[in-house]
Amino acid sequence: MSDGMEQLFEERLARYQATIALEPTDRMIAAGTGSNNFAEIYAGYSRQEIMYDINKWMAAESKFAEDFPRIDMLRAGRIWGPMFESVGFRLYKLPGRDLPANTDFQFVEGEWMKADEYDVLINDPVEFMMEYRLPRVLGEFKEKGSIRSYMAFLKGGMAFVLMGQLMREKMLNLEKKYGLPQPTQGAMLAPFDVLADGYRGLQGIMIDIFERPDKVVKACDALIPDLVNCAIATADPLKRYPIFMPLHRGNHPFLSPKQFDTFYWPPLYKAITLLIGAGYTVRTYLEGDWTPNWHHWNEFPKGKILCDIDNKADIAKARKDIGGTVCLAGGIPDRMFILGTAEEMRARVKELCETVGKEGGLILNGGCAIPYLTKPENFKAYLDATLEYGKYDETIKPKLKKPLAAPAGGPVPGHPPTVVTAWEKKVEEWGGVTGDEKMIRDPWEMLERRAFCWLHFWDW
Amino acid sequence: MAALTELTQALVELKKEDVLAMIEGELEKKTAPLEIVKALNAGMINVGERFAACDYFISELIYSSHIMKEAMARLDPLFEQTDLEAKGEKVVIGTVKGDIHDIGKNIVVTLMRNAGFKVIDLGVDVPADRFVETVKETGAKALALSCLLNLAITEMKGVVEALAAAGIRNDVKVVLGGQPIDEKVCEYVGADYYGPDAPAGVRICKQIYGQ
Repeated sequence: MSDGMEQLFEERLARYQATIALEPTDRMIAAGTGSNNFAEIYAGYSRQEIMYDINKWMAAESKFAEDFPRIDMLRAGRIWGPMFESVGFRLYKLPGRDLPANTDFQFVEGEWMKADEYDVLINDPVEFMMEYRLPRVLGEFKEKGSIRSYMAFLKGGMAFVLMGQLMREKMLNLEKKYGLPQPTQGAMLAPFDVLADGYRGLQGIMIDIFERPDKVVKACDALIPDLVNCAIATADPLKRYPIFMPLHRGNHPFLSPKQFDTFYWPPLYKAITLLIGAGYTVRTYLEGDWTPNWHHWNEFPKGKILCDIDNKADIAKARKDIGGTVCLAGGIPDRMFILGTAEEMRARVKELCETVGKEGGLILNGGCAIPYLTKPENFKAYLDATLEYGKYDETIKPKLKKPLAAPAGGPVPGHPPTVVTAWEKKVEEWGGVTGDEKMIRDPWEMLERRAFCWLHFWDW
Repeated sequence: MAALTELTQALVELKKEDVLAMIEGELEKKTAPLEIVKALNAGMINVGERFAACDYFISELIYSSHIMKEAMARLDPLFEQTDLEAKGEKVVIGTVKGDIHDIGKNIVVTLMRNAGFKVIDLGVDVPADRFVETVKETGAKALALSCLLNLAITEMKGVVEALAAAGIRNDVKVVLGGQPIDEKVCEYVGADYYGPDAPAGVRICKQIYGQ
């Protein structure tokens, strides 16, 4: 990396970190979206090509970075289709496989856990995964113990590592060649959403909160340590980037305020607090309308969360209600990117810079994303106008944040990461080891932990 | 009748066990099954009204449908098929092609049925020509197009154009609903109305039928 790019990367990252921390910056972040869907297809490739052809995927990102060199960050892709096929993951329909090649990939609603399986989930998460849920969500694991199912796990593990390498390569491409940091790294769902999205499904969870409310509460609590540990396993080890957290069923009008306060918020608050305690920031996507519930975000310490506000809610109200505690992203209707004119876009950006974003703490964005169907001229207008109107004080030069040390005893006190075969058991089987135990133990445990997190990768 | 009012109330209060027990009680008393269904429907209408007034949420709406489903599993075998066919005004609804999301659509369908409409639900990923054919076949005056994804905007415009090409654009009002829909999108698509939320969709259909 040339010195110029390294410096640019650090400037951008430091500005992003300061913006999230609600500290003064020289200017607003330009195109600080977490989900730049437009960038994925801007170069002209189909959705299928982006999900399956890694060369085109990387070329698309490079092309976007070259054509819009003044953006401050760019997400390095998301889903590599072959990884889903390796295990026959059934929760998504993919372009070119089940959907037309130029259609967005889409989530499939379903009941992947039965109502009477809560106790297994609560008491034995490994048994729950291996015996109950994974045979349903991984088509290739349908016949547990068959040769095909062993091969599926092998292929799935290999694909997971390959995808990790691929993502790293793409992130380094953006960092080293274009000086672009990532908007997020690593991901976690709200415990309630784990149940509502990929376990019980919407119908199931909505029945459960009436018929077995205690089980729902206990299951959410039981999920927290594993979700936190697995989020940290995929997060940036240098803690530079926030952890991505798309939030779904807590929006209005899915749950009543009382149900939100009973089922959704307490486990989410605990989980995010553990991540913050471990030295991370978090980027929560408030998908849909969270107006009645977002006041809870004031319970977090100031400057640790970036909240994306969707089109269904009012960014000015969000600013008023929680803008003193969290940084916000949003404010531009998706429709304006897709159907609007450059003049309309400029006017909207100017208005937001002069009002909601006047004092900082705002990243201009669509509703949790820049839409796929954005007109290039509208994206350009959004970028140019942000740089023109989003100025604060040129003399301010934010500094990179030093990562906080992990808390002693692990991120979740009293809960070491879950493993299937603990080292103590293994070493007992051997009757002890002859040499340096630590040298054998550390990689054993690392692989055990990673393998367990792989089971949770298929949560959603 | 007092007992049937209690049944309605039990459904509104989402007391499943009470609802099912009361149904058994009514059947023992030889109450006509149709009267029991009417009492349950009154409860569902009330649930829909509470949802529209933000006193109830999707959780309550889904749970009330779950209770209703269990109740009907008990009652259905007691009817001839024709007894239960919806007789209300017709609304054709579906999620447009390319989009397979149906949570929003299903909520609208529940509310519409609660409000007495005969809903022809075409499901998800519905191509334009299927909407056109169904409107022709049923003579529905209201066509509700649902979506979650932005790609649906262009698809919805295509449906409106297909209605025009088939010469039936003036026979049917088109109502849009879903995440990316607002006034500007409605105008771009060439639809007649858009519903910012599910209860608004029901209100618009009532308006279309002059209710």
